[in-house]
Amino acid sequence: MNEKDLKSMIESILNEMVGNAPAETSAKPTAPAPAPSAAPSVAAAAVAAPAQQAQPTASAAAQPTMAPQEQMQEQVDTGECLDDITEINLRKLLLVDNPEDREGYLKMKEKTPARLGVGRAGPRYKTITSLRFRADHAAAQDAVFSYVSEDFVKEMNLVAVETLCSHKDEYITRPDLGRQFSAETIEYIKQNTTKQAKVQIMVGDGLSSAAIEANLRDIVPAITQGLKMYGLEAGNILFVKHCRVPSMDVIGDATEADVVCLLVGERPGLVTAESMSAYIAYKPTVGMPEARRTVISNIHSGGTPAVEAGAHIAELIKTMIDRKASGIDLKL
Amino acid sequence: MNEQLLSVGIDMGTSTTQLVLSKLHIENLASSFTVPRLVITNKEVVYRSDICFTPVLADNRIDMIQIQQFVQEQYAKAGISKEEIQTGAVIITGETARKENASEVLQSLSGFAGDFVVATAGPDLESIIAAKGAGAHTYSKDRSTSIVNIDIGGGTSNLALFASGDLLDTGCLDIGGRLIKVDQNSHEITYIAPKIKQLAERRGIPLALGQRVTPVDLEPIIGEMVKLLEESVGIRPLGDFYDTIVTNKGLKLDRNIASISFSGGVADYIYNESTGDVFQYGDIGILLGRAIAASPLTKQLTVARAAETIRATVVGAGSHTTEISGSTITYTDESFPIKSVPILKLSLSDESSDDETLARAITDKLSWFKLNNDLQQVAIAIEGKSSPSFQEVQKYARGLHKGMAELLEQKYPLIVVVHHDMAKVLGQTLYALLDYKKDVICLDSVVVDNGDYIDIGKPIADGKVLPIVIKTLVFH
Repeated sequence: MNEKDLKSMIESILNEMVGNAPAETSAKPTAPAPAPSAAPSVAAAAVAAPAQQAQPTASAAAQPTMAPQEQMQEQVDTGECLDDITEINLRKLLLVDNPEDREGYLKMKEKTPARLGVGRAGPRYKTITSLRFRADHAAAQDAVFSYVSEDFVKEMNLVAVETLCSHKDEYITRPDLGRQFSAETIEYIKQNTTKQAKVQIMVGDGLSSAAIEANLRDIVPAITQGLKMYGLEAGNILFVKHCRVPSMDVIGDATEADVVCLLVGERPGLVTAESMSAYIAYKPTVGMPEARRTVISNIHSGGTPAVEAGAHIAELIKTMIDRKASGIDLKL
Repeated sequence: MNEQLLSVGIDMGTSTTQLVLSKLHIENLASSFTVPRLVITNKEVVYRSDICFTPVLADNRIDMIQIQQFVQEQYAKAGISKEEIQTGAVIITGETARKENASEVLQSLSGFAGDFVVATAGPDLESIIAAKGAGAHTYSKDRSTSIVNIDIGGGTSNLALFASGDLLDTGCLDIGGRLIKVDQNSHEITYIAPKIKQLAERRGIPLALGQRVTPVDLEPIIGEMVKLLEESVGIRPLGDFYDTIVTNKGLKLDRNIASISFSGGVADYIYNESTGDVFQYGDIGILLGRAIAASPLTKQLTVARAAETIRATVVGAGSHTTEISGSTITYTDESFPIKSVPILKLSLSDESSDDETLARAITDKLSWFKLNNDLQQVAIAIEGKSSPSFQEVQKYARGLHKGMAELLEQKYPLIVVVHHDMAKVLGQTLYALLDYKKDVICLDSVVVDNGDYIDIGKPIADGKVLPIVIKTLVFH
């Protein structure tokens, strides 16, 4: 399933969840029936959550049908903003009314990011659950469709290049272009990297720019420090915009490095949009089997800490160089 | 991957000495696409020894030779050699821990029993080990409830309180089955422990050496002992003798306890009806068990059946003392095992400020570990941070490096124990600061406290993890 299908599927789930007809896209014939009765309750619920918040702003957000002029008049910027509901730690939030065993429930929730114990309002989710679901989904979308800032690339001292994709939509719809570089780019890469280095590190935005900005500051020094301990130099680090995983194979061919390590943003989910993976391969080359990649996934503050992952990756790279293998060829 | 560790447990108690062999199964529970996560997935007891009386010499010292013979015999019976033993613990408990040569016997026996068999002692540890052997922690975890296990042996009753699998508190009372001894044939009292004599006097209960007794005669004094146990778990208000009967400390009693389990020799007579003469062991153990079974202890609290009774402590020593470190760690030296290194745990305020504060705190507190101005080997323990930034890791490493300056002069590697998952990067950072010239062992996912000791065994699972034992060494 591609990103757009996924997006529209999640949108329709969400719309069904809050009992609202989709505003503009693909209005389903069955939806209008409950809509009139449901709309006011949504507005009321939206107001109920941030109790002290002015009503007009909240209802304006919930009812896109409102006339534009009216909206303009009622919007007064008081400098206040809504609390960021994604700041709430879901693992500590139990919404079930009068639970039989609160402690036990919370203990269970500690062990999983799944949205357990959300309670209900009649047959539906509570308002906060619906809103949080949408907020997390929005964060996931932002992570996919935003770019790693140029300042960040500069700050991290990365050598910036891009694949053949010219914009995000092309990147999403043409995976083949996300793994190819122009001849000039290849030349630029060759000029700015060490030929036949022991290890070449590269960073790709992949499907989450947020993951890169969240983890890179901590993982890069951890990897380079670890490599140094094994007598390995990291050299220049590449940054690839519109990057798919197999682009590392092209880098492997261009640099002739022993090991290529790609740090790439993972497809975001509703648990976190900041999860990063490291794909590492011994002498990767275009057309090689996928099974030759070793993956360390789930690198984020709620998973494997970036610094610890970095230290582990350095050791893994050292093992690959010693054993001249990666992926399923490398028994760990 | 499934790796097994053969573990031995040896319990030298007030009256008996026993041995068990356990298999600990270790598996990597993480998928192939993440960092490894090795855990002990199963523990099974594969051999249970005979139960022998703890041999004591005429001068009231422990008979080391006889105990060694016992261990050797049991190894032969189980069909294993010492070299196959990979881990384990010897625990010296009750009266035996108070003998003059207790420490010496313990150390030499742990070496005799296997390369990485560690020496342990101390009432709190004893309570924890017995409760784990009895299965109290698993019971509380499975049912997400609170449970107190009372291990009632010959001389003491060891209490350990767990809630949802977590240890909350421990306590110990001088109440046991052999504090009054009665001759099997004549039914004359042959021994009364000093505290029990004091208790009888305080309550006006006639009790004297040489007195011929029937079970009915002993009812009042045993009743008083049971009442003290009720006080110890908070179902009876604390009386005037409670502070006297407590060995070192009681439970804090700041919360209600839902369930109770019993282990130790007396436990068998709480859970089961006894057959035959009540004085068959020459003591009041059977009567004490019966009295507990009929008391509010079993009525007001939900009684959980212990997985082990008389063998709880030895099974605990064999199966529940060895842990494994976190799976991403640093060690640059392979000279394991490292045995009985005292822990210096820093306070949260020591480590939450800057590196200078951390360094100063370490330097100050290291002086506690000086014997005749000679610094012993010490492991530094910190809480660490979940998902720290690289800068924070560097801060920790700088503070540790500076604070441990005095330890650098020793021939031993630096040992750092962290609670949160950050040991690999912290170890590497520290090693870099040391210019790769001083060996570092940095472990995580381990909870320790001041007063604890750590033992570290040879790497297992292709070197990914180290087996460790966190313990105490207290000989009263």
